[in-house]
Amino acid sequence: MATFLCVEHISKRFGGVIALADVSLEIEHGQIVGLVGENGSGKSTLIKILSGVYTPDQGVIYIKDHHYKRLAPIQAIREGISVIYQDFALCPNLSVAENIAIARWVFSGRRMINWRHVYQEAEKALRQITDQIPLEAEVGQLSAADRQIVAIARALLEQAQLIIMDEPTTALTEKEIASLFTILRRLREEGIAVLFVSHKLHEVKEICDRIVVLRDGRKVYDGAAAEADIETLQVYMTGRVVEPVKLAAHPPAGEQLPLLRAKELTLKPHFSGITFELRRNEVLGITGLLGSGRRELALALIGVLRPTSGEIEIEGRRVKIKHIWDAWKLGIAYVPEDRINEGLHLPCPITANVILPSLPRLSGTLGFFNYRAHRNLGERWRRELGIKAPSAETPVRNLSGGNQQRVVLAKCLATEPKILVLNSPTMGVDVASKAAIHRFIRALCEKGIGIILISDDIPELLQTCDRILILKRGRIAHRLYSHEVTETLLHKMLMEE
Amino acid sequence: MPNFARRLLGRHEVILFGIVIVISIVIGVFNRAFLSLATIFEILRGAIPFALMGLGILPVLLLGEVDISFVGVAATTSLVAHTLLHDMGYAGGIGGYILIALPLGAAIALMVGLISGVFRLPVFAVSLGFWLMLYGFNLFFISPEMRFDLPEGLVGFYNHFLIKVQDPIVGETGLHVAVVYVLFAAVAIWVVLRHTVIGRGFYIMGGNREVAVRTGYNLVKLLCVAMAVNGALAALAGVLQCAYKRFFDPILFRGAELYVIAAVVIGGTSITGGRGSVIGVLLGVIFVQVITRGLIYLGVEPTWQQFVVGCMLVIFFILTSLRARLLGGLSGRSGLTRGEGK
Repeated sequence: MATFLCVEHISKRFGGVIALADVSLEIEHGQIVGLVGENGSGKSTLIKILSGVYTPDQGVIYIKDHHYKRLAPIQAIREGISVIYQDFALCPNLSVAENIAIARWVFSGRRMINWRHVYQEAEKALRQITDQIPLEAEVGQLSAADRQIVAIARALLEQAQLIIMDEPTTALTEKEIASLFTILRRLREEGIAVLFVSHKLHEVKEICDRIVVLRDGRKVYDGAAAEADIETLQVYMTGRVVEPVKLAAHPPAGEQLPLLRAKELTLKPHFSGITFELRRNEVLGITGLLGSGRRELALALIGVLRPTSGEIEIEGRRVKIKHIWDAWKLGIAYVPEDRINEGLHLPCPITANVILPSLPRLSGTLGFFNYRAHRNLGERWRRELGIKAPSAETPVRNLSGGNQQRVVLAKCLATEPKILVLNSPTMGVDVASKAAIHRFIRALCEKGIGIILISDDIPELLQTCDRILILKRGRIAHRLYSHEVTETLLHKMLMEE
Repeated sequence: MPNFARRLLGRHEVILFGIVIVISIVIGVFNRAFLSLATIFEILRGAIPFALMGLGILPVLLLGEVDISFVGVAATTSLVAHTLLHDMGYAGGIGGYILIALPLGAAIALMVGLISGVFRLPVFAVSLGFWLMLYGFNLFFISPEMRFDLPEGLVGFYNHFLIKVQDPIVGETGLHVAVVYVLFAAVAIWVVLRHTVIGRGFYIMGGNREVAVRTGYNLVKLLCVAMAVNGALAALAGVLQCAYKRFFDPILFRGAELYVIAAVVIGGTSITGGRGSVIGVLLGVIFVQVITRGLIYLGVEPTWQQFVVGCMLVIFFILTSLRARLLGGLSGRSGLTRGEGK
């Protein structure tokens, strides 16, 4: 097949930091290329060079038979390179049709808008990939998966030859990922190339024809996806062998009172008749597809949602959790999946973030709080969890994703919880940090904390959990011991109706 | 067509129109005089300057900015126009005033837009400064007193009607000619917002600034266009209001910016940008007028009116929020549950 894009010996440095060093890459028409690498490996720099946002210090870019020393964003678009960012760059207040077609109207230099044409163009682009989404729907009302499809349709309308997708599966569930892959395969048949940038090696291996691995700004691997196995890729990515967490052979026996017992918890339409126990020294996995109620169940355990019926017992004592503060008081801590919006105050330093939920416990008379007296708390947790930051007074905004996740953990642990509810704790985190978080979860559970892990990452569930509950339409469909099942079996159980 | 009916009922504007009708009927039950053609025309005349200012502020709010200096612009431009024309011995009608005030208003507001665009400041901050500056300028440099010396051409302007009616209570009244200005401005802004690339730019910028930049919009230019329209319409409103009141006022509309913004927000315009319509603005302005007028007809003491209007606003906003929650479907959904589920 013909080569669409070829970059040769690209280098880019920012100040003293080398972001990319002598990277060469070729992408053919109708080829899906996986670009993997840990945070800071140079993936985003490469994306920005290909889309014309950054100019490389050295190296050349060939697109079809054109030769570029420097590529302007507008040239990249004209040459058919289209980037779909993680946030999709859509206007939530406008219709699907307008989001798809408006950019072309502006680019073409027209002043007036012909709505019939806008709808026709949008329809043509959208119907190439799906006929599920209505054109007049407001984008803000769509699910993440549908918004992504809208973004792809927009790229198609801009005559994209190469679609660069930055972490496209982060906000999607298994089912949605499967339908995204169907779309990508269809694009491949039409000769459109895709650069699939991701952390998730399983997905990259499944969808891509070729895989390129970056580490510390260098290309360390480039080969056919069929020939690469995941362990080798992991070694290329991290530069070392990441030990998977080994589970204790036997789940802890149920001797004393369970730490937490849920009886017939019901909150329609999210979940109903949920009964389970969580013991000390145990990690309980809860999984399910989109809309299965797993997220709502977690929120009910921490008092954000209130079940309409059912009971919760903690160490044999019946409790009512009406508010998130009740949960903190009872020793239940929650790590949300959306750490940026729900877990952190970005402009505040690590210390302030860590202390926040412990405030009632640490405050003195009349509720006054002496910030200075507890400053060392932040520093202690920074060291304990190995958060990479110059000091505990660093604003959380300046930290990388993995380190931000650690701050959220620290904040929960600082309350000295008995029960920890984790919602997708490794979403968007690179392989090495992921393994570290898994190890950390196991270590916590050895210390006697009961952990509920909500996740749809199947290897993660199998590696860290003692038992797994699968939710379907708000009910517990399966109860498993994780040493009894394999990845394929669990995947099948999750997907079947 | 139940689907069509449901979509219609889902529109904020339709609901608002229904509320205006219901309130009018309720007031009419207590005081028959309220439900007459004369009252409708009176309400419309009172609404004209506010409708113009509301239409002007709409593009600015769509961008996600808030401006309050437009009332100062209205006061300064009308007063400057009057001073200039009076010194020249002008005896004509409203035309001369509009000719001076409109471009001047556009220019002053453009300055606000340019300053906040170039120095990347929120319009609100800059407009706070301009609000004070403009009123201060009026009182210090032009005239600390109201000016009743209207030119001949302007004297009867209050009673220039397109349609006249005789009413037993109100006397002779009618549909004021300035309604034409409002209609013209409303249609023009509607066309711009709905059918031009720059008009869609206001919505795109209000929805997602990032997208506006990537699509190729010049954000400073968009802001300047919006502010210039805002200033021009405010100036027009100022001249009309002074002609109605029969005097030129250095502190014209001082405090009215809150009524205008409240009316526009009642009309469904989002204060954070990206949402709003011309019809909504007009209905919002009429809503506020109906309530203020209605209170007079109900015999509420003028000293109480502000309080009552304030209460009505708060109740209205609570109802809108409840309705949004009902339409959103699930009860008890907090901010934490957004995202998952359709």
